[in-house]
Amino acid sequence: MSLIIDSMSKCFGDVRALDDISLEVRPGEVFGFLGANGAGKTTAMRVVLDILRPDSGTVTWDGRPNTQLPRETWGYLPEERGLYAKMKVLDQLVFFAKLHGVKPRRAEAEARGWLERFRIPEYADRRAEQLSKGNQQKIQFIAAIIHDPQVLLMDEPFTGLDPVNVAMLKEAFLEMRDRGKTLVFSTHQMEQVEELCESIAILDRGKVVVCGSVRDVRRSTGRQVVRVAVEGDSEMPWLGTLDGVLVTRRGQDYVEAEVAHSHNAEAVLQAALDRGCRVRHFEITDPSLEQIFIERVGQMDTSERTLAPKAVPA
Amino acid sequence: MSGWRTLLPNAWYIAAREYRGRIATRSFLLGTILLAAIAFAATESPLLIDYLQGTSQTSVAVYTSLNDLPADAHQVLDSQLNPRTDSSNAHQEFVISWFEGSGENESDVQHDLDEGQFAALLAIDRNAQTGDLTFTLRTDMPSDGRQTGMIQSAVNYLALDDRLARAGVSISAIQTPPSWSVVPLKPSATDEPAKVTSVSGQITSSILSTVLIVLMLMAIITYGTWVAMSVGEEKGSRVMELMLNAATPTQMLAGKVVGNGAAGLTQYGATILAALAGLWAQGPIRQIVFGNGVSSTPPAGLSPAVFAAFIVLFLLGFILYALLYAALGSLVSRQEDIQSATSPLMMLIMSGYFISIFGLSAINETWVVLLSYVPFFTPYLMLARVAMGHVEWWEFSLAIGIMLATIGVALFLAARIYSAGVLLYGQRVGLRQVLKAARVSR
Repeated sequence: MSLIIDSMSKCFGDVRALDDISLEVRPGEVFGFLGANGAGKTTAMRVVLDILRPDSGTVTWDGRPNTQLPRETWGYLPEERGLYAKMKVLDQLVFFAKLHGVKPRRAEAEARGWLERFRIPEYADRRAEQLSKGNQQKIQFIAAIIHDPQVLLMDEPFTGLDPVNVAMLKEAFLEMRDRGKTLVFSTHQMEQVEELCESIAILDRGKVVVCGSVRDVRRSTGRQVVRVAVEGDSEMPWLGTLDGVLVTRRGQDYVEAEVAHSHNAEAVLQAALDRGCRVRHFEITDPSLEQIFIERVGQMDTSERTLAPKAVPA
Repeated sequence: MSGWRTLLPNAWYIAAREYRGRIATRSFLLGTILLAAIAFAATESPLLIDYLQGTSQTSVAVYTSLNDLPADAHQVLDSQLNPRTDSSNAHQEFVISWFEGSGENESDVQHDLDEGQFAALLAIDRNAQTGDLTFTLRTDMPSDGRQTGMIQSAVNYLALDDRLARAGVSISAIQTPPSWSVVPLKPSATDEPAKVTSVSGQITSSILSTVLIVLMLMAIITYGTWVAMSVGEEKGSRVMELMLNAATPTQMLAGKVVGNGAAGLTQYGATILAALAGLWAQGPIRQIVFGNGVSSTPPAGLSPAVFAAFIVLFLLGFILYALLYAALGSLVSRQEDIQSATSPLMMLIMSGYFISIFGLSAINETWVVLLSYVPFFTPYLMLARVAMGHVEWWEFSLAIGIMLATIGVALFLAARIYSAGVLLYGQRVGLRQVLKAARVSR
């Protein structure tokens, strides 16, 4: 009973939006879809939802192809936000619930219940255009889940929200997971992925470059990252001279370095102590998803994520 | 393709939402009030004309010193100046005051004329040599005006009456119509339904056809544009993306066409009710204004059959065009582009309109008959044929059948264009691009 995407391809004219994508989302897990803009995340979701038909490949949930599944299997929060501007909030929610097969009588109770949960019951009779962007997004989230779908697909759910609303949406997220729903969401904010997701896939120009559980992905690089902070020496120039150690980032009061797998990371601590430093912080960890993302996606073409050199006036 | 099996209940929910949303708009309310007011006013227009005429009375003094005028001179002049087509119409445009015989003095009457008691003074005399009557009209009214003209033609009639009287002939004897009968050559001709054959009947039914065609044209364009606007609105506000997971394109299309069509019918119904109320109110209003009631007559030639044909053709024509409007509406990114995107449809509709207006004068020509089976022209041309002449049942049924089949094809194509079009944003989308996208969409 998983969501399985099998060798799926989709072209728009000359553009290969999806290039032979295969991945599996286990039921009840939170799955992160990572990728730069235009990597194919939205297209992949639309194909899963059977809004678009792929050129080749199949999508199955619980062993059934998506073309034969009832639409209420899915909940979808699109990236582009929109509601009927002139329609009252409650009417919209009831409308979407009914479209997804909720009985008209139950639809209103569900809608009111969710508005209560989001602490905005007083907006039930307002028109959508009168709501703030954050509140509109809550309404859209409710519209996507009001029919209690088995799989919830969300396209960039956190963009454009203030931290308070992000926290609230995350809670709603986790509640859906606790109810046993399968959640798939796309983002390019790595902290949220590390916080919420059990598994991820990184897409780059229509291809899956990394896929698996977050822990496996972070370990798969075969490198270790050490983060060191010592008293009175924020630069630690000696760090780079150690064998097998590469300084990757200098923060305000710490330094991050990568240690090749063949070398012992504790050797860095030993070296610091040998130099008589007072170590305030020492941590051995796996590379962050952000590093992996930049590494894997950046590998292909660095020119895309750096500014072109400044033009020199003649 | 989810097909008809799953069309309901979602299409119904969408239709209900479209309908409620449409009739809640201010433009719908104002438009309906305006149309109803126009319809009411139009049905009252005969009253208005009567009223305007009723308030303008022309007083004419007739002075003559003759005493050998024909005996019916008063009656002739009065019946010529105030023709009574309608016996109950008591209004007299001309008020005639006679000053006759030697007892009257022309200068007194002239004085009253100068005082403004009369608009004109008609002096009647007789030419001593020919014996014919002579007439002199003193007035400030324009010499080539309508009233002057009416007086002149009345006077001509009086002169004729006078000449005949002197020849010993009564004008009423001349006017008695002779015996007249028509014997049809083929007895079967009487079995045919009564066709409008008289010239005036033909003019009436051609006016009726033109009115019905214009009503049809306006309804299809207005309500079709509503459908396109509704699609453009959903796309522009991006709520379309939520809708796409909630309903299939076929459900959305069907719901939009039905919902907006129902809103259009509501507006139409209100307009027709206002017109009927106007017809009904003619009597009471006439009673108040003129003090006498008159029974109102429905528009000549508007038989139940023509009305039923109008309803059927209007519904089918609207559905066909609305599907195309929805498909074209799905191709634009912003509502502002709807107008230009739907201009090809506008041209198609207008060409149908012009063909049918030309066709009215050649309603039984082969090319008109053939074109009336072309589904895009059927709403106009078949309507014109039903209103103007005789259409066999099988002919009407065939045209309806062709339209139904075309609507089926249009629904299939429009759903494909729609499902591809609603996801395309940005540049104006060419037809080729859409067809390509439609091939692979659900």
